[in-house]
Amino acid sequence: MHPDLVLRIAGESGEGVITIGETLCKIAAREGIHIVTFRTFPAEIKGGACMIQVRLSERRIRYHGERLDFLICLNQEALDENLPDLKEDGVLLCEAECDLSGEPPGLTVYRVPFERIATREIGSRISKNIVVLGTLSHLLGLPKNKIEAFISQRFARKGKAVLDHNLDALQRGINFAEQHLDKKDSYKLPKGGEQKKLLMTGNEAIALGAAASGLKYFFGYPITPASEIMEWLAVHLPKVGGAVLQTEDEIAAICSVAGASWAGGRSMTSTSGPGLSLMSETIGLLSMAEIPAVIVDSQRGGPSTGMPTKTEQSDLLLALYGSHGDATRVVLAPISVSDCFRVTALAFALAEKYQLPVIVLVDQALSARLETVDPQLVERLPQGSRLCVEPGDGNQFARYRLTESEVSPAALPGTLGGEHMVTGMEHDELGNFACDEETHTAMTVKRFRKLAAIENDPLAQDLCVRWGDKEAEIGIVTWGSSAGPVEEAVAVAKNLGISAQAIVPKILNPLPHEELKAFLGKVKRVIVPELNFLGQLATLLRSTYRIPTIGLTKVKGVPLEPSEIVEKIVEASATLNVRSRKLYGRAG
Amino acid sequence: MEELDRSCSYLSGISPVWCPGCGYYGILSALVEAFADLNLPTRELALISGIGCSSRLPYFVKAYGFHSIHGRGLPIAQGVKTANPDLTVVAVGGDGDGLAIGGGHLPHIARNNVDITYLLFNNAIYGMTKGQFSPTTTLFPITKTSPFGLAGEAINPSALAIVYGASFVARGFSVKKEHLKDLIIRGMRHRGFSFIEILSSCSSFNTTDMNVARIIKNLQMVPEDHNQEDEIEALRLATDKEKINLGVLVRNPRPTLGDKFQEARQKAKGKSPVTVETLLNQFA
Repeated sequence: MHPDLVLRIAGESGEGVITIGETLCKIAAREGIHIVTFRTFPAEIKGGACMIQVRLSERRIRYHGERLDFLICLNQEALDENLPDLKEDGVLLCEAECDLSGEPPGLTVYRVPFERIATREIGSRISKNIVVLGTLSHLLGLPKNKIEAFISQRFARKGKAVLDHNLDALQRGINFAEQHLDKKDSYKLPKGGEQKKLLMTGNEAIALGAAASGLKYFFGYPITPASEIMEWLAVHLPKVGGAVLQTEDEIAAICSVAGASWAGGRSMTSTSGPGLSLMSETIGLLSMAEIPAVIVDSQRGGPSTGMPTKTEQSDLLLALYGSHGDATRVVLAPISVSDCFRVTALAFALAEKYQLPVIVLVDQALSARLETVDPQLVERLPQGSRLCVEPGDGNQFARYRLTESEVSPAALPGTLGGEHMVTGMEHDELGNFACDEETHTAMTVKRFRKLAAIENDPLAQDLCVRWGDKEAEIGIVTWGSSAGPVEEAVAVAKNLGISAQAIVPKILNPLPHEELKAFLGKVKRVIVPELNFLGQLATLLRSTYRIPTIGLTKVKGVPLEPSEIVEKIVEASATLNVRSRKLYGRAG
Repeated sequence: MEELDRSCSYLSGISPVWCPGCGYYGILSALVEAFADLNLPTRELALISGIGCSSRLPYFVKAYGFHSIHGRGLPIAQGVKTANPDLTVVAVGGDGDGLAIGGGHLPHIARNNVDITYLLFNNAIYGMTKGQFSPTTTLFPITKTSPFGLAGEAINPSALAIVYGASFVARGFSVKKEHLKDLIIRGMRHRGFSFIEILSSCSSFNTTDMNVARIIKNLQMVPEDHNQEDEIEALRLATDKEKINLGVLVRNPRPTLGDKFQEARQKAKGKSPVTVETLLNQFA
């Protein structure tokens, strides 16, 4: 029995491809199987090729798998497009009409006339995907009653006729498979765990994490691939007394967040690169006026409109530095769906405690992927709240009082005796405009010392994930969703007899210096895989730690593959005994 | 005297940075007197502004003040009112702040009917940057950045606010302080978005467009029998070429953004209380 199954369903948008994948995921999650998916989105609003890849595993995974064990194709185009990704000894389940003349010899092939069964026998082309589920039930050992239960749940609201129709389609799929498909391969649904798992996307995890952290007000502007965060919150936030407003643009969104947050409500916005560009000026205001805010950026291919439905990690430098002047902010980057939940909670805790903007960087692939998470993820969430004054002590309230901790107690509007000014101008402790050299220096230092304090805050500890042999000389530093393929690559390299170790900081500003320095001091080569052209994390590491790095960048709109990273590890390993600095390219 | 004391208690003690002869002194005075008349506790007062001469006003008033960035006072005020509906929120800004850089926000704050009062100080010039034309400059076409005349026609702020669907629109004049104070009081009492255009002369860079003598000569009070729900008639008064009509042009109450949020909360509420656990169960 295989501990791991990588399966892909491909077809035309509108054929129910995604439904097949999601149904499979839902049933497997209830069995306690670990899942990570990957799907592509056609650029067209309707139609176009689409696919969903589902990796099912007995163990915790963070990557959707590189080569396919099992491929399901609903038409010729899908077959031609996806067959190269199938393993040489993989399984192909395809529409009977498909031409397989160039098919590799080692494959196990099952042909099913999905189209004919759906249109002729059932009389409904849209039930084709349920017929596919029926055949999968037979081939992978998906319990029929579990699929039935799921279909009943899903179609219950559409009335008995629709439900019966779908149950009939399922049965016909099963019947065909039992009569005509002789199981020749060894793939089955992997073994599940004791505990049922929850299944959600990165965007849903962010929205849920925000709601669980006391988010009250969300302002946003629709943008791919972040819109689902606002859409989810629009449904659920009013239930807990909050409010969601779609504003006229991203500037209005972040400014409304600034206003609502100053007035005391936990507030947030989510966007993608173009929106973050527009928000840059207000990020400076939040930094200067010391107002908490959480900003989620789900990155997509850029610059400009770029590739809205494709993934990229090219907003790191914008998140770190975007806005004029010395504008402080925290930048966090979750590496998985469950991480999206917890890192969002951390973002609120840090924003409130240190009164500054916190940017959470995810990307299209992480936002859109379905992944299993443990129900316990809500336990022991990071906590942090705003330090506020008691009402009225008679003196004029100093909003920007210089304190030992660099955090000045706030007075929420409405507090007796707390009247004050917040401002985007440089200001003295009272919030009055001041442009003398001492004040600007003292206040700039104050704002930056809050970042230094975060480095030592228990909230910001243990934010580095490590994999591999801690004595290894080959080191990998990566961030965000590229962590998944890096984790796999370290394991693959080990099987090849090459020892490598990886570190993934989930906080990118302030950097976890202690852990990174220790890591970088230990390894002899530093590979930095990331999804952008410039090598943005590599740039940061080189300038911060004055180390040479080996860049591994990719701008294809899709995640890194473990084999691409393994190749770099092998290359770097071959140089370990060679005393040459040339290897590092532009090394400083 | 007692009245003066009461309105002075709304002053922060910081001296305004405005030039001698600036009309904004009159507006500040009308505003604090309106606060005194309404007997508003300073702690429940939030003054939000963008950037420009007029946007400096919050520093001079004892209240919760937010001096933000150019053109963004309105969405910030929207956020403030959303998070704390008990606050009385007043946004202030100039013609450049509100109609040029921030011009995209006004239609949406108006249609959302956010329950705030917005004072647009219209002096038809950029004063803080020392004399460039603004979207309302018209009779003073040669400015530092329009040495050969203006390229565009002037915007009529009150007319825009009416067309955008503001539920309260009024026009005042900084010199007519008592009248302006009355307009501000009415605007603040109005539940919903109150837009008040305040004509005011810039003593340093443009005394032509808002010339006090000319305005006094041409001004006319909105007739008492004007139907404030008649937006077409209001638009005629706002765009009158002969006379400068001062007074309340539109007053047309309707549900506010806060009401809509409340409605959404009612509609979203299920039978059982919502907790993180119940939200989590959706993903099971």
